Amino acid sequence: MADRIFGCIALVIAIGYGYIAFTIIEAPFQYDPLGPETWPQILSVAAALCCLYIIIRPDGDGFKVLSKTLVRIGVLIVLLSAYAYLYEPLGFILSTALFCLVLSRILGASILQAVLFGAASGGIGYLLCAVLLDLNLPQGVIIKLLRGLS
Amino acid sequence: MNEVLSGLYQGFGVALDPMNLIYVIFGCFSGTLIGALPGIGPINGVAILLPIAYSLGLPPESALILLAGIYYGAEYGGRVSSILLNVPGDAGAVFTTLDGNPMAKKGEAGRALSLSAIASFVGGTIAVILMSLFGPLLASVAIHFNPSDYVALMVFAFTCLASLVGKNPVKTLLGAIIGLMIASIGIDANTGVARFTFGIPDILAGIDFLVIVIGLFGMGELITLVEHQITGRLKALPVGKSFVSMKDLAVVKWTILRCSMIGFFIGVLPGTGASVASAVAYGTEKRIAGKSGATFGTGDIRGLAAPEAANNSSAGGAMVPMLTLGIPGSGTTAILLGALLLFNVTPGPLMFQQRPEIAWGLIASMYIGNLALLVINLPLVGFFARLLTIPQKYLTPLIAVLAFMGVYSVVSNPFDLYMVIGLGFFGWLLRKMGFSLAPVILGVVLGGLFEDNLRRALSISGGDWMVLLESGRSIVIYILTVLILVLPPLYSRIKSRKAAKDTVPAE
Repeated sequence: MADRIFGCIALVIAIGYGYIAFTIIEAPFQYDPLGPETWPQILSVAAALCCLYIIIRPDGDGFKVLSKTLVRIGVLIVLLSAYAYLYEPLGFILSTALFCLVLSRILGASILQAVLFGAASGGIGYLLCAVLLDLNLPQGVIIKLLRGLS
Repeated sequence: MNEVLSGLYQGFGVALDPMNLIYVIFGCFSGTLIGALPGIGPINGVAILLPIAYSLGLPPESALILLAGIYYGAEYGGRVSSILLNVPGDAGAVFTTLDGNPMAKKGEAGRALSLSAIASFVGGTIAVILMSLFGPLLASVAIHFNPSDYVALMVFAFTCLASLVGKNPVKTLLGAIIGLMIASIGIDANTGVARFTFGIPDILAGIDFLVIVIGLFGMGELITLVEHQITGRLKALPVGKSFVSMKDLAVVKWTILRCSMIGFFIGVLPGTGASVASAVAYGTEKRIAGKSGATFGTGDIRGLAAPEAANNSSAGGAMVPMLTLGIPGSGTTAILLGALLLFNVTPGPLMFQQRPEIAWGLIASMYIGNLALLVINLPLVGFFARLLTIPQKYLTPLIAVLAFMGVYSVVSNPFDLYMVIGLGFFGWLLRKMGFSLAPVILGVVLGGLFEDNLRRALSISGGDWMVLLESGRSIVIYILTVLILVLPPLYSRIKSRKAAKDTVPAE
């Protein structure tokens, strides 16, 4: 059943992709026999055929996810989005510390462990990657504050 | 032959440069480290570490050497969690658990780990030797390939993938097409027409390859880890003091040699990597062992050595089509190929002539890497085993941190952070639906190449599609494609009929 639902959704996407390929994509002028639309057209037809096959002959492997697990995954995705949202404004150190604190707490760490782990991953992570390896990471408030003080 | 020797000479010149030597060893070490983490396979390891290696600002040959070291190391490290935890890091390590874990349960974990390290070393070294012999040969043939031959090769690659990888060929094919579709997003380089961008400026240049890799593999893995958290704590078996003996090696020497050859050639086939190689090697050895093969699956050292040798030698074999044709032999080499493209190096037959320092430097570094891995692994195995005890509650957040760090340090665009999360969920969903992700990433990497060659071929012919069947080379490749498509189902049908015949008189 899950296969059929997935196949139908994928089929709708393939048809949408194909619709764009067959009607919207068009080069104003071109010298080559194949324009920008042909390749997507081929792909959309192939994808649609595969989807049809999956709908007609599904695997039968059920999509088994406990609702409890789904909640966990939902929470994880909300957390990740919040992390992404705060990444630049708060900077690497603070946002990482917060994210690690909350996620490790959810995954079963005690409050003290979570706080220590968050602080360590934010601080050590920044020192290791931004200072030592010279990677480009968002500085954010803490570093700007330190810069302003010195 | 002369060309090979002079190439190797030049390659060792590059690889023995002190800095590059450090990168090889560092790559091998960190690869083993990340491969040994429970549940993280080579492909996820390379995916997570790729952007960090990229943003270090190394010259291309050094960065590639580093990445190849990580790749090799992760293949090595994978066996630690397979043997001690019975948790394979990826599909290629499944067969290692079959005999490795029972050995560890019998208290012979040390023996299993050291034996598999030696099997991996021999497999890897044989693969590199074969690679230095066949690579330039294949490149000198491939240099004459025209666009329509490349189209034929791509068709062959995707057919191999559909026919040999995964349970359901249609799903594998759909996965590859999804990858090709993702690759078609962005401005078409030939005409400047924007395709499937829906007016979003962030994806006008296409979705960044690193974002796709980190999303599908890094984030997808993270979600899977969180999903499986519920199943309770894993308990690692102790390593113990046992060690591989000369007698063991004498028993498995032919097994290792045979499986290294099998692994290499399966690795060379485009699209089929370690998972197919280790499965075929295990099956073959079990058949060759005959009656004495009944102990396979209960801790037989041959059953452990076979998949490990094949596994590592296919890792080398998969490099051959990547370097010589620009068509990766496995999901992980697809990522390495994408890495090369990031450095503006286009792999292919010309690479051996135009950028020999990269092609040969990489090959030479693999000789060194193999040796380094053996040296690192034999004494430090206890240390790597201790990594398994890192609690998930700390490991999981760190994967997210590494993934974000990787994306941000390369693209510096917060939009891509959301993209990674979305792709991660998509990758998790695909895996949940029984798709394997290697075809998707192969599609993403090959999408541009496939389309360009098709368009070029038709430009040459002026729009006549028959050009695709004109050269003898393409026809040979298409015949091989049909064989790959027809033979495996035929073989399994004959086998099942034979099995049916065998069981009838017994009843």
